Amino acid sequence: MRLSGRFRSSLIIGGQGIRARKMRTFLSMVSLFLGVLAVVTVQAGSVIAQRALLSDIEISQGKDGTVRTYLPSKSSPVALELLKGRADAAGLTTGKAVIGEPGVKPLNEGGGPLDEGGGFRGAMSMTCDASGQCRPVEDNPGAPPGQAIEVAMKSVTGDIRQFRPFRVEAGEWLDSSSAPSLSPRIVVNKQAAEGFARHKVPAEMRVEGAVANTTPRIVGVVDDGSWGPTIYIRSDELLNWMSVESLSDERYGGVELMLAPGSTADLQQTLRSRLVASGVASEEISFQTVNSLKEMQSQLTLMRWIFLGMAGLVLLIGVAGILNVGLATVGERIEEFALRRAVGTPRLLLAGIVLAETLLTGLLTAAFAIGVGAVGLKAVSVVLGSREPFLQDVAFPWEAGVAGVIAGLVAGVLGGLIPAVRAARIPIATVMRA
Amino acid sequence: MTPLIDITGLTKTLKGQDEPRTILAGVDLTVHAGESVAILGRSGSGKSTLLSLIGLFDRADGGRYLLNGNDITRVPERKAAALRSEEFGFVFQRFFLLKHLTAVQNVSMALVNGQGWLPRRKRKAKAMEALERVGIGHLAKHKPPRLSGGEQQRVAIARALVREPKILLADEPTGALDTETGNLVVEALRSATDRGCGLILVTHDHDHAAKMGRVLQLTNGVFDRESGRVVV
Repeated sequence: MRLSGRFRSSLIIGGQGIRARKMRTFLSMVSLFLGVLAVVTVQAGSVIAQRALLSDIEISQGKDGTVRTYLPSKSSPVALELLKGRADAAGLTTGKAVIGEPGVKPLNEGGGPLDEGGGFRGAMSMTCDASGQCRPVEDNPGAPPGQAIEVAMKSVTGDIRQFRPFRVEAGEWLDSSSAPSLSPRIVVNKQAAEGFARHKVPAEMRVEGAVANTTPRIVGVVDDGSWGPTIYIRSDELLNWMSVESLSDERYGGVELMLAPGSTADLQQTLRSRLVASGVASEEISFQTVNSLKEMQSQLTLMRWIFLGMAGLVLLIGVAGILNVGLATVGERIEEFALRRAVGTPRLLLAGIVLAETLLTGLLTAAFAIGVGAVGLKAVSVVLGSREPFLQDVAFPWEAGVAGVIAGLVAGVLGGLIPAVRAARIPIATVMRA
Repeated sequence: MTPLIDITGLTKTLKGQDEPRTILAGVDLTVHAGESVAILGRSGSGKSTLLSLIGLFDRADGGRYLLNGNDITRVPERKAAALRSEEFGFVFQRFFLLKHLTAVQNVSMALVNGQGWLPRRKRKAKAMEALERVGIGHLAKHKPPRLSGGEQQRVAIARALVREPKILLADEPTGALDTETGNLVVEALRSATDRGCGLILVTHDHDHAAKMGRVLQLTNGVFDRESGRVVV
């Protein structure tokens, strides 16, 4: 009861002090505001950056907990057969395709990104003679240049977005529940979509190993985090036009399997047995669990501490402001504090009154800084969200709010401690007699 | 009957830059409930120092101080704060009112001192009652700059009385007031003794001192004479 009474007393008197010195309190808040805002911004920025980084890593590596393995291309038929119809696992083979005029050199031979100049050669195969001289191997020797775009083609056995959450930019992802179509549905990535928007190419798709060119239907555009033009196609629709053995060809880059966490023990065992039986060396089969957050945590933590250190310096300037105003206020209120001691206020409560004022000031500033941070983030999201996907619909992280409150409290304590001690030491007799 | 205050051989020496200066050289004083005592003396005679020792603002170097029969000569600060709240009421020459608070808030500030807790409504009621007792209930909502000197001092008296102290210590409460207003203030202080409150009034004014039950003259740190009633 006594403690409660003292606590309430300090809050009441502290509140009266703040109300009586609004301008001074406001000036304290101004000096502290930037410090708390810096802490809030750094914390919010690091949380958002972590989310964005994690999101990008998830797209390229897979969500945390996903079990991955890369198998040689010769294992593709077995892998595709095993994964057929499974919801807890998906396979992905990589090859290449050319979409556009038949029998021509693509605008981006090699599958590199398309730029304004009309093309950029991507990865090239090289051949070297006995003397050690190397030269690029032409993919389309003797073919004339034409309106076609070379893309990386990824055939998928199911919905790989449960493992790699590609962001759908337009249209929809491949529907794996419907019957396979003879006109393959494809989803293109942003780079491929930009290429098709810039260059008018016929809807004819050449795939190495296919019995005929097909007419693809673009059903969606995704952001898959890759740098070159890429298309995604259902493997069963691709296999309408080529044999599964064709996928064993070394020109195909092997098969990547992704397995859901928790449902993989039996599947891993079955896969291993079947693959070994089909001639894949056991040591070529290695399952790894994605653990991106843990891997990047130390890196992010270090960065966060560096920035928090910088924000802390700004906060210290704010603390110095509160301290300065606090000391001046104690000097100005020396009679009030002496009077309060005279009427029986204990030293500890007197210190508590001063601390309550600085803490309230710190908390008010923190609330204001958090509000400004949240509104600022919303504004940034609205203005820059269209250019930076990670800023779209971004929510203000609660961690930043907590950091702001802690910063406000710490600043209140640090800024109020010395004035509080001084207030508690005011000698009644000297002041009241003066 | 146990006296409220029983002081024997109280000494106080201030440590100056050159050599220590004795302010009180063995003061004896006894005050009973309902008794009013005036202390007269020249400036620097130790009147205010004595009052600050009685009010536990400061500690004596020697002697013995009994309050209600309890030895509080070496009382720790925490206990001293509680005693200041429960036993004493203080009135100063300068009123020490808080300018940002109204009269009623200035009075109730003595009730928000961490020594127990009263709800806001009760605090206000007690503060209003104290203001009524000194005859300025109608000025409750006025802030100090809008009050005259006499009114401000009466607010200060109400603040001293609001916790119903056993002893009222007044250090030259009329020093900043004209004679007529000073008389009103002294009367307000003296009337507190009707309820059994002891009063120690430090003053230079012999007329005001004459209104007290006893008058003591402090010279060179000791009382040089004591009388029942002085008529100047």
